[in-house]
Amino acid sequence: MASLPLNPPPPPEWVVRMNTPMPRLSKHASSIPDPPGYAKKMASKNQRAQQSAATSAPAKPVETDTLKLKKAWEIALAPSKQIPMNAIMMYMSGNSLQIFSIMMVFMLFKGPIQGLINTNAVFAKFDTEGTHAKLLGVKAIYVVMQLGLLCLGVWKVNAMGLLPTTRSDWLAWESERQPLERAYFAFG
Amino acid sequence: MWLQATLLLLASCVPSSLAIYADEVNHVDYHHALLGFPSAQSTFFLKPSPSSNASLLYTLSEKSLLGAVNPKDGSLVWRQNLSRSALPADGNAHTLLRASEGTNALVSAAGDYLSSWTALDGKLIWENWFVDETVADLELLELEDASASPPTKDTVALFGGKAAVVRRLDGDSGKTKWEHLDESGDIPIQISSSSTEVFYVSLQSSARKGYRIKVTSLDPLTGQQNQQQVLSSESDVSSADSVLFVGANTAAPLITWADQSRKALKVNVIGTKQVHTFDIENTSGESISSITIHAPKKLESLPHFLVHYETDSTTWAEVYHIDLKSASVSKAYELPRLEGWSVFSTSNKDANVYFTRITQSETTVVSSASHGILGRWTHQAPPMEQALHSVSEVVARGDTVAVRSAAALISGDWQLIRNGQTEWTRYEALAGALAAAWVEEDIQEDLAHQLQVEGHETLYGAYMHRVKRHARDLQHLPEWLKELPKRILTSILTDEVSNLDGFGIVRPVVVATENGRVYSLDAGNHGAVSWKVKAAETESWNVKAILTQPGSATIYVDDGSSVTLDVTSGEVLNRSPATVKIRSVAVASDGTTPVTVGIQENGVPTESVDGQGFFVTLSDDGSVLGWFARDNQNPAWQFRPAPGEKIIHATARPPHDPIASIGKVLGDRSVLYKYISPNLALITAVGDNSATFYLLDAISGRILHTSAHQGVDTTQPIASVISENWFAYSFWGDVVDPTDAKGYQLVISELYESSIPNDRGPLDSASNYSSITDLPLPHVIAQAFLIPEPISHMAVTQTRQGITVRHLLCTLPFSNAIVGIPRPVLDARRPVGRDPTSLEAEEGLFKYNPFLQFEGKWFLTHSRDVAGIKTVLSTPTLLESTSLIFAFGGDIFATRATPSQSFDVLGKGFSKLQLLMTIVALSIGVAVLAPMVRKKQINQIWKASS
Repeated sequence: MASLPLNPPPPPEWVVRMNTPMPRLSKHASSIPDPPGYAKKMASKNQRAQQSAATSAPAKPVETDTLKLKKAWEIALAPSKQIPMNAIMMYMSGNSLQIFSIMMVFMLFKGPIQGLINTNAVFAKFDTEGTHAKLLGVKAIYVVMQLGLLCLGVWKVNAMGLLPTTRSDWLAWESERQPLERAYFAFG
Repeated sequence: MWLQATLLLLASCVPSSLAIYADEVNHVDYHHALLGFPSAQSTFFLKPSPSSNASLLYTLSEKSLLGAVNPKDGSLVWRQNLSRSALPADGNAHTLLRASEGTNALVSAAGDYLSSWTALDGKLIWENWFVDETVADLELLELEDASASPPTKDTVALFGGKAAVVRRLDGDSGKTKWEHLDESGDIPIQISSSSTEVFYVSLQSSARKGYRIKVTSLDPLTGQQNQQQVLSSESDVSSADSVLFVGANTAAPLITWADQSRKALKVNVIGTKQVHTFDIENTSGESISSITIHAPKKLESLPHFLVHYETDSTTWAEVYHIDLKSASVSKAYELPRLEGWSVFSTSNKDANVYFTRITQSETTVVSSASHGILGRWTHQAPPMEQALHSVSEVVARGDTVAVRSAAALISGDWQLIRNGQTEWTRYEALAGALAAAWVEEDIQEDLAHQLQVEGHETLYGAYMHRVKRHARDLQHLPEWLKELPKRILTSILTDEVSNLDGFGIVRPVVVATENGRVYSLDAGNHGAVSWKVKAAETESWNVKAILTQPGSATIYVDDGSSVTLDVTSGEVLNRSPATVKIRSVAVASDGTTPVTVGIQENGVPTESVDGQGFFVTLSDDGSVLGWFARDNQNPAWQFRPAPGEKIIHATARPPHDPIASIGKVLGDRSVLYKYISPNLALITAVGDNSATFYLLDAISGRILHTSAHQGVDTTQPIASVISENWFAYSFWGDVVDPTDAKGYQLVISELYESSIPNDRGPLDSASNYSSITDLPLPHVIAQAFLIPEPISHMAVTQTRQGITVRHLLCTLPFSNAIVGIPRPVLDARRPVGRDPTSLEAEEGLFKYNPFLQFEGKWFLTHSRDVAGIKTVLSTPTLLESTSLIFAFGGDIFATRATPSQSFDVLGKGFSKLQLLMTIVALSIGVAVLAPMVRKKQINQIWKASS
């Protein structure tokens, strides 16, 4: 059975109807007034008018650039809103090494790093010839904000004692001092 | 490094120590409770209670240990150490043990100390000291006229000293009832009591030479002298040893001696003046080496006795009867002359007296009345080792008799032979263990050699060599495959002991004893003796060290000789002759093969060795000497303690003492660096009432640290040990100034490179240093603890990499135990007088408490009574968690210590069977469910489309 080509099932009836164009109304039927509230022509006309307004009558480029920049600023400053929330979360979760706090720290690192990698992608749609120069500053702020979040993560990891910043973390690489002479004891 | 760190983390996570579990007893440890060689005169069978028919075997050994042994299985019922109570005597003060049938009391004497013990459970009834006197003889008074079977019997004791004294001591309290003073200056020999009189036998020096035997008869109730007789024996008796026998507590007590040429035997029945003389019929042509008299020791028994003659190669015996009425002595019969050794013992059943003769090949029992052999049992092969003396118990049922004899063998073993069958053997010679070492198996040696070959070849050659080696190893594959099911099965069914053999957990121990024997103890079989061998050419030796090589062990004796034994069979492989007297042996393991050098009594190495090493020795004039290995003429340095002090002990770090971490991580994650040097020596010197502990650098001889204590009782044990970056010592200290503590103290001192964290001291990050040019002093932190009892010996557990927490192994002579104190408890940095801060708590420090109570779970010996331990050894195993411990000197005790718990071993709670069952159940489940799920998925596709 599996080897035989499957016949496509016949499309359901409503599909067939939808795909077929509306039949011309008969004369009798056309004389029947439309029910109140049914405005077929008006609706389609309005839609078309709007669409044509968007495409056929473009706004001035300066205006769009300002809009884009505004939008870009919003995106750039978005991480700063996360910082206080994350800081409180990190502070509350404690410094013990538990699966929960480890997951949170992981997420804290994942977000900013992904954000940094996608910096250009995020601002790509705002990047026009006009905004290009101005976007550089926006990007810089965005990077700074992400780095701020990253710093929060580093601070948290340090608080958890996972950063090799102390002498004891390097103790294993220090070696015992070897004496040049060796004594053999015969105390019996 | 990471592995170490992980292990360290693991080790620190688990609780520092847990007590032994009940099911590990006799599994991880073994114990030989020993008495020492039983002495001939103080060993006997006795029924401890009149109601029971079972008897126990009592002995007072040559090590002054009094004990009762169950004759059925040779297990120890109870024991008491008399030398602990007796004042330290001149060494050869002889010990005596007497008992009487029907009373639950034993009376023992050691030097000036008399004591009475219950026979059933070894509890003290009374004890008494007689200062400046030594007990020469002891008898229990059997009075006929006393009311029927008194609960206790009085003791008559003979004391020597400035003047001989006979005392009657009360059986309940040990108080003197009367005493008879003899100030004539005679040599007291023995006392003997009949039912009506007490006889005091002494030697009166005659005008010419020799001694006359003087018998004084005393009234048992008052101690008044009744009469006195002097036997003319001056031509025969030249010393107290010439008197062969003074019969005690018999119906007819007698005195026996022989003339100096051992041609005639002279017998006197005490109380009479007549001396019977018998010619000794010696047809062997050899001179008689010894004559022994065996007589029953009971009042009601027949007055018969046996004379045992011994020449170098043959033995025979004669039995004599005493006629009570006429006090005449007559020879009854003779036991045949036999080649080889034989020992006789007397036993009686009611009035009947039986003599048991044990020879190399058989045991025979005769009655004293006639020479007919009542029982004869042939010993199993191999021929029995020579016995020195024996005691026997004969049971007669109609015409047949059964006998059990406890024979003390020349090797120091004590063997029970029941009707010719060996029932048990107690290896009492092990009580005199002088040195011990773990055996190194030679299985790995071949592999090590092969790897060495590979290391020296070219790359291609080494590769081919390895391929060939593995191809050769393939021949073992069929056997391995054949064994595989069995191995899997056993690993599931049995608990860990058999599976851990490969990790060096079960290593045999070689023990050298003072009577020239070497024993091998099988750790896998409860410490059973797997072989014993007489390694010394003499009857005693003073072993200084045992060093083991793969497959063999070399024993170094103080006369400079050495013996190499094969560790699997005990066969002597090599023997080197005696050279000069040595006091210790130094092992220079500089190159590949260790070199041993003997150290003479004056501390001078016997030879010089090529190499860069230094030898550090002690000399008999009380100084520590340092030597260049190349030069044994002039010492490099010499250390003498302050005037008035003498060195009593010196110790150094164990040869294998790895340090896992060179620093101590503090709570704030800074590091306090340990002062680590393999060349540290800890010297204990005592003055009149002071003790000073010197920490020396063994290369330059400089004193690195000194701690002095006043008010020290130097007669109490002072023990010390040094390991890693710390040393510990204990002593008894008295109050000298008001801040002192009084009592047993344990002091722990830790050495650090600097007092400041993260500072490595003046040498800083230098990778090596020379003690001669630039040696910094350590920063020492010390803390003292008061402990409840003295410590006679200290050691430290050894593990393979030193990651596991160390235990300080302390021998407690008072409670007969070995205790392992965890190092975290003995931390010198514990906060004093305040609770630890959070940082300190993170470090694992807790509040200092001056009194250190030994917790029950620290006792490695748990409920065992491990007595007389002189030395405790520790060795690492292939498992980092486990350290082997072996203690000897009196008893033999061995165990495994897991100071941080056995974190690298699956516990007994881990069920392999359960794991396998789970896997099997899951596999079955998958196998059943897989088709069902597949079917459902297909159905889903088809049903959705329809």
